[in-house]
Amino acid sequence: MSDTAVRVSDAVKTYGEGEAAVTALRGVTADFAAGRFTAIMGPSGSGKSTLLHCMAGLDSLNSGTVHLGETELGSLSDKDLTILRRDQVGFVFQAFNLVSTLSAQDNILLPLAIAGEKPDQEWYDEVIEAVGLGDRLTHRPSELSGGQQQRVAAARALVTRPKIVFADEPSGNLDSRSGAELLDFMRHAVDNFGQTIVMVTHDPFAASHADRVIFLDDGHIVSELHDPSAEEILDMMKTLGD
Amino acid sequence: MLKVALSGLRTNKVRLALTSIAIIIGVAFVAGSFVLTDTISARFDALLGDISAGTDVYVRGMDPDFGNDFGQLIVSMPEETLDGVLEVDGVAAAEATVDGIAQVIGTDGEPLGGQGPPTLATSWVANEQLSSLRIKEGNGRAPEGPGEVVLDVGTAESAGFTVGDEIGIVFNGPVETYRLVGLASFGDEDNLAGATLAVFDIRESQRALDLEGRISSIAVAAAPDVTADELVARIDPVLPDMAMAITVADANAEQSEEISQALGFLTIGLLAFAAIAVFVGAFIISNTFRIIIAQRTRELALLRAIGATGSQVTRMVVVEALIIALVSSAIGVIIGIGLAVMLQVFLRSIGFGLPEGPLTVLPRTIIVGMLVGVIVTVVSSILPARKAARIPPVAAMSEVLSTPTRKSLRTRAIWGLAILAVGVVSLGVGLFLSVSNAIWFVAIGALTVFIGVSILAPLFAGPITSVLGWPLPKLFGVPGTLAKQNTQRQPRRTASTASALMIGVALVVFVAIFGASIKTSVASALGDVFGADLTISSSNFATGVSPRFTEELRAAPEIGEVSALGFTQAKVEDEVYTVTAIEPATISGLIAVGVSDEDLADMAASDGLLISVAEPDYESWIGRTVPVEMPNGVTAPGTIVGTFDVENFGAFFITRERYATGFETVSDSLVVARAADGVSVADAQAAAIEVATPYPSLEVQTTSEVLADAEMQIDQLLAIFSALLGLAIIIAVLGITNTLALSIIERTREIGLLRAIGMVRRQVRRMIRWEAVIIAVFGAILGIGTGILLGWAVVRSLADQGLETFTVPFGQLFVYIVIAAVAGVIAAIYPARRAAKLNILEAISYE
Repeated sequence: MSDTAVRVSDAVKTYGEGEAAVTALRGVTADFAAGRFTAIMGPSGSGKSTLLHCMAGLDSLNSGTVHLGETELGSLSDKDLTILRRDQVGFVFQAFNLVSTLSAQDNILLPLAIAGEKPDQEWYDEVIEAVGLGDRLTHRPSELSGGQQQRVAAARALVTRPKIVFADEPSGNLDSRSGAELLDFMRHAVDNFGQTIVMVTHDPFAASHADRVIFLDDGHIVSELHDPSAEEILDMMKTLGD
Repeated sequence: MLKVALSGLRTNKVRLALTSIAIIIGVAFVAGSFVLTDTISARFDALLGDISAGTDVYVRGMDPDFGNDFGQLIVSMPEETLDGVLEVDGVAAAEATVDGIAQVIGTDGEPLGGQGPPTLATSWVANEQLSSLRIKEGNGRAPEGPGEVVLDVGTAESAGFTVGDEIGIVFNGPVETYRLVGLASFGDEDNLAGATLAVFDIRESQRALDLEGRISSIAVAAAPDVTADELVARIDPVLPDMAMAITVADANAEQSEEISQALGFLTIGLLAFAAIAVFVGAFIISNTFRIIIAQRTRELALLRAIGATGSQVTRMVVVEALIIALVSSAIGVIIGIGLAVMLQVFLRSIGFGLPEGPLTVLPRTIIVGMLVGVIVTVVSSILPARKAARIPPVAAMSEVLSTPTRKSLRTRAIWGLAILAVGVVSLGVGLFLSVSNAIWFVAIGALTVFIGVSILAPLFAGPITSVLGWPLPKLFGVPGTLAKQNTQRQPRRTASTASALMIGVALVVFVAIFGASIKTSVASALGDVFGADLTISSSNFATGVSPRFTEELRAAPEIGEVSALGFTQAKVEDEVYTVTAIEPATISGLIAVGVSDEDLADMAASDGLLISVAEPDYESWIGRTVPVEMPNGVTAPGTIVGTFDVENFGAFFITRERYATGFETVSDSLVVARAADGVSVADAQAAAIEVATPYPSLEVQTTSEVLADAEMQIDQLLAIFSALLGLAIIIAVLGITNTLALSIIERTREIGLLRAIGMVRRQVRRMIRWEAVIIAVFGAILGIGTGILLGWAVVRSLADQGLETFTVPFGQLFVYIVIAAVAGVIAAIYPARRAAKLNILEAISYE
């Protein structure tokens, strides 16, 4: 369980050029252990989302490397990156995670369908059971609540048994109860399925579900906590002056 | 609000550019057809004025009762008429011409000009004041005596002749040889609209044209103190019956009227295509505005929330439309002027050269062009604009945008059916009832049917796209599934995009059905009627087939029965009819004319007439003896001895003897022949070609060649129509591109998501491409359905005019569906590429 799922070394990311250039990452190095739930926190503009995007192969670094398992992302073409995302990465975004024309079930199976693969029925049943949608699987996204939609997204992220799931403020648009349900489901996936999850959030309550919290500020990792409570996280954030 | 409208335009640049193409094309056609027609009229008016500058009055032989759309039938008058005219007080000068038809043989041995522009012969007018022709310095001299000819500069140049060459000329007989002694110009022009002109000395002209002692016209110059009108009044009394005087001004006006009429088909054709382009454009404009407004719902709701009234929102959208309309109409007018220049080049290439001169762009052209563009665009934007006004302010805050409800579909069905019914009724009235302006009923009916179908189309969009998209998930997995479902997301949008394509396809299908039905009918008519093996006709309709050739053909041992036919006009009792001259003794075996042997014998014996059973009340004519006047005024009584039953041969049959009295130069329109017993058709044809060798304008065809020729001509016509209608299809394809591009902007986030979770670019492109294909094929199916309906209605309505078979060319229709699918693929290229290139991160966070 102590394998490294993702390793980031000396990651530098700059947007724009010349005077207008904004540096989001200023040499970040970090390992994300397999089978663990890691939260990345930090104030707005700290580079936390950029880090997540670069680790997930949605964005590229100016220098430094990202290894997803054995694969170095910087050397991959757009097509290979896409296939890597499809087969080895799961995503949960803040909102609009679902294709509105497809039922919940089809949305969950979408990455497999895109790859032209059949679902592993046992695994699928297990995920469906854990996500707790019951009879709503045939509904379209517009007929589901926000919390249900995000849980469908989470189930979709798990269904390919990805090496890692990246979640970007997954509970950001949800009320506290739906948010808690989603986070419990994610915790459950880590504990019971051994799923690796990396989540960006600025909500201390959400981060408190993680095994480890990394704090970013101005493009640097400034601190980290293990198995923290929401209060500890809040205190840490205050010291960072968010 | 203007500021908001302008900012809306700026942000929607690409989409609006696509929209405006539809307007530009429509307006360009409108402006182009006006510019072309005006230019042609202006140039011919100038030229006619120029070449007749010294002449005040023309005297010509003619009977005002005869003639057709393309001009009066000119007949000759005795040459003594000139002496009478010269004696009239107030005539300063007068000179006669002898005119006719002559074909110049090119260096390849074939007649120049063919079936296109006229091939004219005339005599040289020595008096420079009265002559319309000039021989410029260095271009030789006027013709003097037998064996000399002058050609117009243009014809000589294009044939490669120079002064001093020996050239062959055909009148109504074998080729005669002349020496080219000069090249003539019309004022500053080298050529008159592609016509070939051969000019002879007047005696030679009389001899060659079989007009000894006759003249065709007299050009008269008035004395200084006499007006042209006065002179006409003074000359008229000295003229024989079949001649009349006319002022040059009137004659020129008549000629330009004839030119305009001859070009009328072109103008009407261009305007019809303009109307189709504009109509298809209206769909695209309306659709684009509807989508843009849907995308801007939140922005418009915000405007409403901060206090804009509904009518202000409407006005804002209409102002946007107005600005687009003004810009694209202006571009359309400019392109239209370019189009006129291109059409001029095209006309020249088919042998209809225009005189040199400036383009005529009348204020009317610009005004009408701009009005068409502006009105169509603004009207098309009004419905979407009113919809924009109904957006509630609360929509600014709500997450989910409202979707159309079921109830509106019901209203839609009722409206759609009602409008469709109106269209069908209008079509029916135009086609089956004898109303004046039937063509308008048909056009408006067809238009209304299109609108009705397009209103109903969203009701079928769901089911039809399901069926069309059915194989896609199996064939292409997720991209296929999503493509299919995306077409069903907004049935209205899918349907109105497809409807634009429907119009073009429906018209193409209509033309195909019409053409196929004509071909079947022609084939069966020819097959039923033609018992002859060979048909001989002249490549130049005006010269016809020389009787000398017919006699020679009869003498050929390989040839059996031969029968000549002449098509002309005759005044029977007091009305002018189209009549056919036949040889009663020989016709029955060669053409199934539906006459009893007895009637044919009676006709031959008494120089009688036969009446068509298609004439109303034909029975009442039988047995009567009526005066029959030929175009040259020769009148003789004839008895109607019986009937004939065959279409397209006019109202009466007259004998060839009577026909011969009507002309100074007798020529037949058509000669049909059969191979002699035991001689193959091929051998007979070879023999006939041998006989025809001295007559280069004659063509000897077997019946199957005649049929193939007719079919080829129909095909050519259909090809031209289809090509022009293809323009409507191109506009519709632009519409598909437009809709998809707009839909992709709406679905940016979704596409971003699909890319993030692992859809490769190729799959994204495939998704968009198949969506386009479904829309296009849906449009083609609607179009084929509507086109079959239109084709059926029109073909049925023409049943009594010989169009007896309704033929649906299924193979061709299938090809159209394939073409539509390919068009869909092409339409998707740009939007698919855009969708595939979306930046994933930006797409996911797209608002």
